Amino acid sequence: MAALTAAPARPRKLLASRKTRVGILYALPVVVYLLVLFVYPIISTLFLSLKNADGSLTLHWYVDALTGVNLSVLITTLRISAETALLSLVFGFILANAISRLRPLWAGLAMLIVVVPHFISALVRTYGWIILLGDKGLVNETLAWAPGAPYQLLYNELGVVIGTTSMMLPYTVLLLYGVMRGVDRGLLAAAASMGAGRVTIFRRVYLPLVAPGLASAGLLSFILSLGYYITPALMGGPNQTMIATLINQQVTKENQWNGAAAQGVLLLLLTLAGLLLVKLVSSLGASAKKRSAS
Amino acid sequence: MIGLRKTLAGRIVLTAVATVILLFLALPILVILVTSFSDNAFAAFPPDTWTLNWYKVLFADGSKWPAALSLSALIAALSTVFSLIIGVTAATALTRSELPLRSAVYALVLGPLVIPNIVTALGLFLLFEPAAMLGSPLAMALGHTVLASPIAVLILIATLRGIDERLEDAAASMGAGRLTIARRITFPLAAPGMIAAAIFSFITSFDEFYISQFLSSVDTVTLPVQVYNSLTFEIDPSVTAISAILIAFAILALALVALVRWLGSGRQGSLLSAETATGIAAPGGEAV
Repeated sequence: MAALTAAPARPRKLLASRKTRVGILYALPVVVYLLVLFVYPIISTLFLSLKNADGSLTLHWYVDALTGVNLSVLITTLRISAETALLSLVFGFILANAISRLRPLWAGLAMLIVVVPHFISALVRTYGWIILLGDKGLVNETLAWAPGAPYQLLYNELGVVIGTTSMMLPYTVLLLYGVMRGVDRGLLAAAASMGAGRVTIFRRVYLPLVAPGLASAGLLSFILSLGYYITPALMGGPNQTMIATLINQQVTKENQWNGAAAQGVLLLLLTLAGLLLVKLVSSLGASAKKRSAS
Repeated sequence: MIGLRKTLAGRIVLTAVATVILLFLALPILVILVTSFSDNAFAAFPPDTWTLNWYKVLFADGSKWPAALSLSALIAALSTVFSLIIGVTAATALTRSELPLRSAVYALVLGPLVIPNIVTALGLFLLFEPAAMLGSPLAMALGHTVLASPIAVLILIATLRGIDERLEDAAASMGAGRLTIARRITFPLAAPGMIAAAIFSFITSFDEFYISQFLSSVDTVTLPVQVYNSLTFEIDPSVTAISAILIAFAILALALVALVRWLGSGRQGSLLSAETATGIAAPGGEAV
């Protein structure tokens, strides 16, 4: 009897361990590669940010990074990222909502216009904006009749936010489109059948259903804007210096690696905090969904 | 289709606003394509006269663009090879085996996609600078692979998940060895996904800016760094032509991915013809 039960168990166990061994073998390249070229460099950045010239431990690079000009750069970074997140959320909401009501063919075409730019170099798209927003660019030419034209649309915060918003928009549209497609239209119809008006339906039914998606899309575009370099550097003025620009300057121009490392770690911590929030929001959303379903 | 009344005015407003937002996305790209053929690169839009001059300037003697273009292509090709090797093995491990710490491996793979590129680039700079590898195309390719390989892994995971494992089991039950199964069943079905992974790895490396800028030297300047430098230091109109070429290249690559997917979509269906009536999930979901 014992032999009978042991017989099928043994090959299964053997197979399982073989599958495990194969798994570990195949996972090795990616794990080793990323540990050496991704995790280790970030850890050495962390160590560098804590090291004095003589090798002793110090926090003074962080004090540097959080005072004076560096602090104002950090605040600028947070402000521009917040403006970008808000704008790309609003535009993304409107566009995703409009696309989710289109017939499949038109929706597909519209999504193509959203997705294709995402695969075109951000540098190239930024250059496109520089051409468009210049004093003699298409935008100012079209607005030539307006009082006060031509407007200063470049090398200020407006220019930067226009640029970064257009870079983040594909993310928010894609995320929100997915969320909106998942909304059960029957719920809206049910609310309507019980006499709720359009505004009430939007506020009481639709918005709560898409709220977690809105929160994570906004947070995501905020996080992604934090480390942005190309657009602020090319479309902003001196008052739009963002933290990535500062890191770059310290490394390439001033040879100030420790300071750059401290700012990199700060950027990393901000990103991780944001990601934690995204996770929190989505788990809250999931539990709310469960509650409403039961 | 919603069961709600929609006013005509509301629909018109919504359509107009959505069109403006779509233009917001498309215009920066269209304006470059048009301007690159314009005689008067900055003064007027739409252009008065057309020319191919900026494209000729790109490849004239003494131009810095051909060197940058070929360096970027070389780095992207290397990076594609590395990413495919990492991608195929990692996706196999994550979908076809029992892997301890699977979620930790998965998180490691997603890491480079969520951490700001400038942080990754700074770390790589601190790694390669002491090794005196600044300006080395190999260092740049290794760096780009950090960003490109996660994308390849994600695409190939989706591809392998889309392949019905019963096909592999059926082949095994009929006595096919592991190599034969991989060669005759898995590889042909995964080929479209592998081509997509290769193309996206190539684009990722080809367009990469942060790592290239930190790791470049005076003699080795990749195309995006060269474009950035021409935009910050001396705007010359030929940058419009190279930008237009980059746009055309990206669109071509996306079209190729779409074509390969379309060609590959029927394959598994024909192998599983008995079951097509019940509907098997199409291979290869979108992962990017």
